[in-house]
Amino acid sequence: MKRISSLFLILLSFSSCEKDDICDATTATTPGIVIEFYNTATTPVVKNVTNLKVVGEGIANYYLFNNVSKIKLPLKTSADVTKFSFIINSTDSATQNEDLIEFNYTRKNVFISRACGYKTLYYLNATNPLLLTDSVVNDGNWIQNFTIETSNIETENETHIKIYY
Amino acid sequence: MKHTSKFIISLFLMLLPIFGLTQEKKKDSIPPKTERYGIRFGVDLMKLSRSFYDKNYQGLELVGDYRLTKNHYLAVELGNENKTTEDNYLNFNTKGTYFKAGFDFNSYENWLDMQNIIYVGMRYGISSFSQTLNSYEVYNTSHYFNENTTYISGNKFDGLSAQWIEVVGGMKAEVIHNIYVGFSVRFNKLTVNNRPDNFDNLYIPGFNRTYNGSFGVGFNYTVSYYLPLYKKTLKPIQKTENVKKDKK
Repeated sequence: MKRISSLFLILLSFSSCEKDDICDATTATTPGIVIEFYNTATTPVVKNVTNLKVVGEGIANYYLFNNVSKIKLPLKTSADVTKFSFIINSTDSATQNEDLIEFNYTRKNVFISRACGYKTLYYLNATNPLLLTDSVVNDGNWIQNFTIETSNIETENETHIKIYY
Repeated sequence: MKHTSKFIISLFLMLLPIFGLTQEKKKDSIPPKTERYGIRFGVDLMKLSRSFYDKNYQGLELVGDYRLTKNHYLAVELGNENKTTEDNYLNFNTKGTYFKAGFDFNSYENWLDMQNIIYVGMRYGISSFSQTLNSYEVYNTSHYFNENTTYISGNKFDGLSAQWIEVVGGMKAEVIHNIYVGFSVRFNKLTVNNRPDNFDNLYIPGFNRTYNGSFGVGFNYTVSYYLPLYKKTLKPIQKTENVKKDKK
């Protein structure tokens, strides 16, 4: 009898199965590209954007960022190019300025788990990872320069691109 | 823990009269009891019936046990499964064969010449299988570009294998002469898991669904035929029983 009950105890210890049907919010899924804004001084410091409107090409909805220095944008999971228009001071028609940025990358779909499926990771191209152009309204670029901090966009915990203006 | 000990104590109390009965019986000078030894083999009805009603499942499991000693049985299971799993984010097919071997320890005292058993046991299982990822979803918290997130894959992962330990509890009872029905519950723990690249063994034939950890559960409902091979006469155990009683 003792032997049996001890075996039952072993059985009980096996029953601590964890739930894995719901994709946990803390799980790293498809990352967005993280961009940080700096000023153009010799030793650049972070600079908040004012009413920065970011619109994806062909999309009616837009993102509006104000008083932040770090933004996150989604990249297309079904194409190797994503184009955004960056409009600074978008609420003021006198000072607003529109620049276009084209992100060029390759994609890789990586398995996460049963509950989350797969995620898309992005790898910026070695040549022309970012293409900065002016908009149709020829008002000059408000973005002076950019640097690529990391071309592997695998997590959102780091800054991928630095933009100087 | 409190409940467990309560359960064990009450179970013990329930069984006490049975112990008493058997002891009284043995004091009578009836002819010596014999016990049959042989092979029991059968099929898992759960897997068999599921093959009919579940279009995503085909499986067969053959079971067998051989009586080694009074209460020890050598037990094996041999099976084959072909299952398509449709999850929210994944659709995949698993196909393969498995083999489990181990022992059952019977804790049930039979009255007459019967081999009913209530048992606990252990198995070691091995499985060889392949998986095909039919389609998958890319999980993206952003829906800004409103893209189609379903991808048709068709990737096949061959030559996969897994090994595990099972703790089994169950019973087998004779319903018609030499025909037994039984069921068992199994708790599994993976020991070896040969995972595919950029996918996972989310279902393993014989082990069933895998969870985040290495644990799993199983269940079977069997019908078996008992093939008696020889009989053994029971040695009188009256004396030892009395000693036990004195100790109490």
